[in-house]
Amino acid sequence: MSARDAVLGAVKAALGRSRPADPADPAAVAAEALALLADPDAVRPALPGTDAAVAFAARVVSPKVGATLDRVEALADLPGAVRRYLDGQGLPHLLALQPDPALQGLDWAGFELRDAALPDEAAAFGLARWGIAETGSLVFHSGPDTAVLGHFLPLHHIAAVRASTILPHLEDYAAVCGAAPRNANLITGASGTTDIEGSYVRGAHGPRFLHVLLVAD
Amino acid sequence: MGTVFKRDVARALSDATLKTAIDRTTVTAERKRAAALTDYPQFAAARERGTRIKDHVVAHLDHYLLEFERNATASGATVHWAADSEEACRIVLGICRGAGARRVTRSKSMLGEEIGLPHALEAAGIERVETDLAEHIVQLAGETPSHIIWPALHKTREQVSALFKASHRDPHKTEDVEAMVESARRELRDRFLSAEVGISGANFLVADSGAVCTVTNEGNAELTTTPPRVHIVTAGIEKLVPSLAHAFVLLRLLVRSATGADLTQYTTFHCGPKRPGDLDGPQEFHIVLVDNGRSRMLADAGLREMLRCIRCGACMNHCVVYRQIGGHAYGATYPGPMGAVLTPALQGAEKARDLPHACTLNGRCQEVCPVGIPLPALLRGWRDRSWKDGLVPQSVRSGLWLWRFAAERPRLYHLGTAAAVRAMRLFRRGGWIGRMPLAGAWTRYRDFPAPAGRTFMEQLRDRERGR
Ligand code: SF4
Repeated sequence: MSARDAVLGAVKAALGRSRPADPADPAAVAAEALALLADPDAVRPALPGTDAAVAFAARVVSPKVGATLDRVEALADLPGAVRRYLDGQGLPHLLALQPDPALQGLDWAGFELRDAALPDEAAAFGLARWGIAETGSLVFHSGPDTAVLGHFLPLHHIAAVRASTILPHLEDYAAVCGAAPRNANLITGASGTTDIEGSYVRGAHGPRFLHVLLVAD
Repeated sequence: MGTVFKRDVARALSDATLKTAIDRTTVTAERKRAAALTDYPQFAAARERGTRIKDHVVAHLDHYLLEFERNATASGATVHWAADSEEACRIVLGICRGAGARRVTRSKSMLGEEIGLPHALEAAGIERVETDLAEHIVQLAGETPSHIIWPALHKTREQVSALFKASHRDPHKTEDVEAMVESARRELRDRFLSAEVGISGANFLVADSGAVCTVTNEGNAELTTTPPRVHIVTAGIEKLVPSLAHAFVLLRLLVRSATGADLTQYTTFHCGPKRPGDLDGPQEFHIVLVDNGRSRMLADAGLREMLRCIRCGACMNHCVVYRQIGGHAYGATYPGPMGAVLTPALQGAEKARDLPHACTLNGRCQEVCPVGIPLPALLRGWRDRSWKDGLVPQSVRSGLWLWRFAAERPRLYHLGTAAAVRAMRLFRRGGWIGRMPLAGAWTRYRDFPAPAGRTFMEQLRDRERGR
């Protein structure tokens, strides 16, 4: 008997399924599962106010997330905002830029760009697909225009998100995300650890700093 | 195991450094969790919902296993099944050999510890690099984790500093925790990028997409699972959830209960291998579904509820026994109240007969458990069984017999406990009892909370009378 048959057989026997097939009616199971998602507001924190983008911005800079935030009017303003941040940190205008056409088409004059982060990259910049107000999370999907390592290798992670893509709650992302990519990364702050005596230290393996640029368009 | 447990407990209780280390983390954890719940008035309702979601999955586990397998396979993953730990290790080693792996990175997984994967990799001559900071510390010390969320909770900063100085290529120069974390970052950087295989666990398996969820605050899971050519997930079969939305309900509970944050910094869903055109990611994605005693628990009405456990660690942070003896004294992968229930279930009651007895039944664990597992009742179940199976040593049996004889006769019980409470007050000093006859083994290393002058039942009666 294969391990698969052994495990499934033991599970079925434990559940008292009389015949090996004995399918729990899939439609009934699905209906039961769906009912468990009813009234989501009863089981999630309420947002402060009604504007998800406002709530997101407040959340991102709260101690819970601990990121910094800057606002720009349009995508075209992003290179200027990135330059401001790098200057403020005393960093050179050197950047691993996510190869997203929306970013690559901007005017990066005066920057030295790379399209993949090096192991010790100082700063990387990317555009999140969504923001989630409840948690202050940025959501990236891996794909031809987004590398996973771009969010994890740099010391400074700079990420833009459009106000129009801010979702109120985690469930709202589940509703709009579509087919799963290889990696869906929900990023909520910089890398941190409490592994030594419970004291909180940033930059364990991933970025030590997260800087969010909220685009008003 | 019985005598080994007693010896380990004795050692732990006499270790003052250990107590300092345990307190430094558990006290912070308790405070942060309490603060997180204050900000989340929906917690009670969410806990009830989370409990029902897990119960639903457990009741339809066969259905969800097959749905997950179908969707994971469709996404390009290879799904393997393992009935026990040996089989799981054999499968993982087979994949590693097939990939020509010399170096494997591993992101913390308690299931990996449970099945003995660290040891199996080493025995096979494969270099194992633990990437979670705490697991890295534990690996350098040649130890095993002592907590499911903070595996190196038993280490003080002074001990960590000494370990890093002895083994890192470019160790820290100053004695602050920041410098130590930086030292580990430098040490592990090139390891992440040079492994042939990355191994992770799973916090959730999402049935309707075949995705695997990992959560970390360090970002080590993604650095472990993205660069190598092969990503292997080992996961217990109870980790299933119907959909992403169900996972989010449980994530809110898990993270607040574990660390007091609202969400982990890095919450990632892995679905299949690298797709055509993807810029990075593994070419092979393997998922090993491990039973190892879980279907036995499913068949057992007295243990089935334990399959709800989402491994948050809150029960151990709030356990008076864990906080006195630490995780290693339990002598198994899972310590604390959840470990005392799980270990006999996974390893057999005869190997772990002392564990369910290392409990004061104060009920704190059940109060804090985010999926409402009645841990004290499950522990009592094990006590009853080991009693019936004659596994309890004679000294305990006669004492318990006396207690039970009295407990079954309420009048006599109240008379007896009232007398005992008053007698114990004779040994009281400032609210804690330092020494007491017949309890030498307990009071040698810690103080016993001195009882209020009257029993609970007496006080309750008084209160009911309006006094
Ligand atoms: S038993 Fe409950 S409190 Fe303990 S680890 Fe499991 S889920 Fe958390």
